[in-house]
Amino acid sequence: MLELKPMLSALWRNKISAMLIALQLALTLAIVSNASVIVQDRIEKMARPTGMPVEDLIAVTFQPIAQDYDMHGAVVADLDLLRSIPGVVDATHTNQIPVSGSGSASVFHSQPNQEIGGEVSNYYETGPHFMQTLGMNLVAGRNFTPADMRVVQPNEDARTQVAIITRQMADALYPDGDALGKSFYNSNGTDPVEIIGIVERHLGAWVSWSKAGNVIFFPRLQENNFKRYMVRAEPGRRDEVLKAVEKQLAERDPQRVMHIETLSERLERSYMSDNVMVKVLSAVVTLLTFIVALGIVGLTVFWINQRRKQIGVRRALGATRANISRYFLVENSLIAVTGLALGMAGAQIANHFMVSSYSQPALSLPVLLVCALILVSVSLVAALVPALRAANISPATATRSV
Amino acid sequence: MFGYYVSLAIRSLRGTPVLSALMVAAIAVGVGASMTVLTLNYMMSQNPLAHKDNVLYAVQLDSWDPNEAYQRSNNEIPYQLTYRDAMALLRSDIPTRQAAMHRYGFTVSSDDFELRPFSAEARITTRQFFALFDVPFVYGGTWDADADRSPVQQVVLSKATNEKLFGGENSVGRSIDLNGEPFTVVGVLDHWNPSPKIYDLNNGPFNEAEEIYIPFGLHRKFEIYSWGNTNGWASGDSGEGYEGHLQSESVWIQYWVELQDEEQLENYRDFLTGYIREQKQQGRFQRPLKFALTNPSEWLVLNEVLSDDNRVLGWLSLSFLLVCVVNAVALMLAKFLRKAPEAGVRRALGASRHAVFVQHLIESGCIGVFGGLCGILLALVGLGTIRQLSFGYIDQVATMDWLMMLAAVGMAILASLLAGIYPAWRVSRTNPSLYLKTQ
Repeated sequence: MLELKPMLSALWRNKISAMLIALQLALTLAIVSNASVIVQDRIEKMARPTGMPVEDLIAVTFQPIAQDYDMHGAVVADLDLLRSIPGVVDATHTNQIPVSGSGSASVFHSQPNQEIGGEVSNYYETGPHFMQTLGMNLVAGRNFTPADMRVVQPNEDARTQVAIITRQMADALYPDGDALGKSFYNSNGTDPVEIIGIVERHLGAWVSWSKAGNVIFFPRLQENNFKRYMVRAEPGRRDEVLKAVEKQLAERDPQRVMHIETLSERLERSYMSDNVMVKVLSAVVTLLTFIVALGIVGLTVFWINQRRKQIGVRRALGATRANISRYFLVENSLIAVTGLALGMAGAQIANHFMVSSYSQPALSLPVLLVCALILVSVSLVAALVPALRAANISPATATRSV
Repeated sequence: MFGYYVSLAIRSLRGTPVLSALMVAAIAVGVGASMTVLTLNYMMSQNPLAHKDNVLYAVQLDSWDPNEAYQRSNNEIPYQLTYRDAMALLRSDIPTRQAAMHRYGFTVSSDDFELRPFSAEARITTRQFFALFDVPFVYGGTWDADADRSPVQQVVLSKATNEKLFGGENSVGRSIDLNGEPFTVVGVLDHWNPSPKIYDLNNGPFNEAEEIYIPFGLHRKFEIYSWGNTNGWASGDSGEGYEGHLQSESVWIQYWVELQDEEQLENYRDFLTGYIREQKQQGRFQRPLKFALTNPSEWLVLNEVLSDDNRVLGWLSLSFLLVCVVNAVALMLAKFLRKAPEAGVRRALGASRHAVFVQHLIESGCIGVFGGLCGILLALVGLGTIRQLSFGYIDQVATMDWLMMLAAVGMAILASLLAGIYPAWRVSRTNPSLYLKTQ
């Protein structure tokens, strides 16, 4: 019924062209499926919850001009001032800006006197106000109190008695889920730090780190020669608050260099390479599909032109328009399916290489099938217009030039 | 003959505008996409120290944790040295030149002029840094020799900083305040901004070179911590305070040496081996004796300046180009076969197969030229978009030089010739009698 035999013999006569289309589709599937899986992976990565109201947060970094500077006094005065600005929800000092790509990390153990093993964690030096400023969700225990705070010099023994950690870090240290009230230690350390609170989640300083989400908060203020604040504005008032913060901090103490930015800006920068990857790959996938579709259109038109007479003869011998269109569509599908079958194998091989050499995500069967399905549809649509036009060839053509 | 073939080709391309446009588009898009990515990768793979590749070496010593190797580097040796090892290596007189260094930041202010205080990126380094990396001076030169060990408040300014502070005039001998302390300007650099920033790849390989350069002897006076990476494994091993930090096992200093020949290299290896042995006796360096001297081109590879993502994009864009070439083959085949009657007539009139073949190859070459020119435009648009997506971080890298433009046209012509070989061969096998009959 599908005239497979004459179709195959016709294809055989045009085997090079047919092979070229099949090869294009195979290569396209290999590229598109591998690109899609990377795009999907990066989009998921960028969509991870940060655990913060990123849109409302402002980061301030300042460096005093003079070498001898009362950092503790300045921080107390600045934070009082910041919290009094209309539109500010809360403000805190911090050693690092969340998701900025720059911060501190160390290894911690659930037992004292450990040299090996342990769990590496990003850590903050902050205070009781970090919870509200960063919009943390405390799921167990309590927040810091002013009494927990320690003010230390750089490289002084800075261990605090207590800490708050993320649930992810709590589970890493105490897999049984009973971390609250227990303690952790530095490498070779004997002084326990008690876990007084657990927050739901926080991404930490490095978005691309394999252990992002391992975060510890210490109630500590280090008097080094620069300091950072996080300021949370009421929703929708961030830009107005940012201007006020800049002005008022500069007025309170002009003897310093300040840098103020929004956290959304920092987050965008941190995801820059992922974003470039997504955009470039999406462009490649779109262009590629488009180019292949154009190629199919071009070639189908050419074939049909070549076979005008045969089409006319078939129509004269009683083939309906639908028969003619169907013929070209089926022919096209045959080529497409052959090509895509080849492409699936190619995609797997290419993906194997991507995973082993360039640590990219593995290609799953559903993604591969969806990509193949999309390409089949694209190739059918591309063949549809020329095939419909072929059906319009008049039976008279057959008689005219023979 | 060539001119005639070209005019034939143009006429033929005009004859089938849609098919020709499709072919040019296929080549243009393929070349545009791959040149966008390959330009990025090419610029990222530049070695700004290529001219000193056989005399410069980055020094790594394995002073890491006896319990486990350093995981964050590809040869399992920390990329940086401890302060005490750097100070010890500086005492060696084997290298022709050497430099210890790290990144830092100072506030810059001055009473002399109306200038808002600003924060300047600083390189804390030793005096041979400039000669080691061929950094050009406009005025003055490096600081005094004792400034590497004792606190001497001298500073070298970058060209841009000198313009900002002194309007570009000779500022040697003038004074500026850094962190509120007076420093004397001893030198002003000419424009210098190696990309990748090979001498310190810790904080992004495409960051700008520093704005000011400060002698290494000021650590204690200013209690300078690195603004780059500091990695430690033995917490609290060396006592408290700043001195404790300097004596600790934390690594935060980059170290480079210049060794002229094999003999000097051998001597320096012996020196490092001896140094590590001596330290082992004092209970440090408990891992197996290991160090590395790496030249600039290998250093870039070791530090993965060209990231996995870039390599993936490189492969992908080349496959993309391949698809475009296959596409062009199919279209050209269609086009040439349609014109087979013409070729048949030419053959019948005495043109050799070779002549017909060359004629069609030239036609595909023309498609390549047009495709290449459009491809350059597309690549420029692509690079512009990438510059915009990356907030200026890779502005220096995402630009096309004339070499890459030539390469783009070359690639397009090569691709279209490759695409044209089979179709041109097919059409040159045309049997003239077949077409004479139907005319």
